[in-house]
Amino acid sequence: MAEKELTQRSAWDKVLANLRKRSLWMLHYCTGCGAVELPPTMTSRFDMERFGIMPMVTPRQADILLITGYLSVKTLKRVILIYEQMVAPKYVVGFGSCTINGGMYWNSYTTIKALDRYLPVEMYLAGCMPRPEAIITGFNALIDKIAKGEANSWKDYYENYEFYHKNQQHVFGDIETHHDVTDDGKYFRVVEATR
Amino acid sequence: MSELTRTPNAGRPLAALGAARHAEAILAAILSETGADGFHVKGARRVEGQVQADSLHSFAAAMKSRVGFEHLSAISCVDWIAQGEFELVYHFWSYRDNCLVSAHVRIDRAIASMDTITDLWMPASFFERDIHEFFGVVFQGNTDLERYILTDWKGPPPMRKDFVSRDFAHEHFHYKDYEPTWDEMIEGGYHGSRGKSGGAE
Repeated sequence: MAEKELTQRSAWDKVLANLRKRSLWMLHYCTGCGAVELPPTMTSRFDMERFGIMPMVTPRQADILLITGYLSVKTLKRVILIYEQMVAPKYVVGFGSCTINGGMYWNSYTTIKALDRYLPVEMYLAGCMPRPEAIITGFNALIDKIAKGEANSWKDYYENYEFYHKNQQHVFGDIETHHDVTDDGKYFRVVEATR
Repeated sequence: MSELTRTPNAGRPLAALGAARHAEAILAAILSETGADGFHVKGARRVEGQVQADSLHSFAAAMKSRVGFEHLSAISCVDWIAQGEFELVYHFWSYRDNCLVSAHVRIDRAIASMDTITDLWMPASFFERDIHEFFGVVFQGNTDLERYILTDWKGPPPMRKDFVSRDFAHEHFHYKDYEPTWDEMIEGGYHGSRGKSGGAE
């Protein structure tokens, strides 16, 4: 599917992707202990703003949702609410081994073990925890992906909402969101495109 | 009077507060004012002892009003599963004496019920709520025992010794299966696990 999209990209898509990749705003929401690696990444030593990435306080204007570490069930609910508020295109980056397989909270009774069951993860940064060098490398990989037009995981949330919703319900029971995800999918021209 | 001898209660004059007492003097005050026996000096600034569950409220009230322990530091809970009991530990602190008094209360594990002390200390409500959530102890008279951290919890109280965290986690959460193709996925870009290991269980 990615190859097909690649060949169908218009010149405008390429221009747009090149503009988009240089202004990624990351939602300033920190869930776990991995957040301590972000201040050095943001500030002058590693300075992620030279790649156009900077923290943003509101989800409405953010492009990247960085999940910095373990997610308890209570936090996951907030993260899902935040994710649905974000405007597409949006990229979820799982940060640290906790988001991949639970990490050291493997047997914990209240942390989730696989983030990509609940949100469409664009990319994982492995490590416990990833150092700023790894974060910068990861963001550069994300930038490359966006430039090539391959960073389309966010569409999966609208195309296969049943899968994510079923898993969310498995953890929460019924989840009350303020967004009609199907409507959002139409608005972002994801759902209609597949019909 | 040097600055070093001042207590954290800076608002009040030292004369009204009185000089700090030794642990033995505090023990004597506890015995005479609250009528509780079974207390002993544990260290220079530590006094501890047992209190019956039904007399804990009057003991705490006397500690606050007459012995001068005006601060409730914490309430903690221990699960003694072999004896079939919960042990609640009430930590009282005196700003005048810089001394900690721990009152240990044993309650029946099967009934798990205790009187609230929120009428004496409002902050006790939070400790009681916490213990209710993680040990399942019901505090009679506390009107705010809602869930705090485990908002969508379906299982038994998780800090009880007979709760097996591992079994619960494996029953309620999706785990990633190890896949030998991960190396290739990392090379070629990872697009999420959907479709690889099926849907929700």
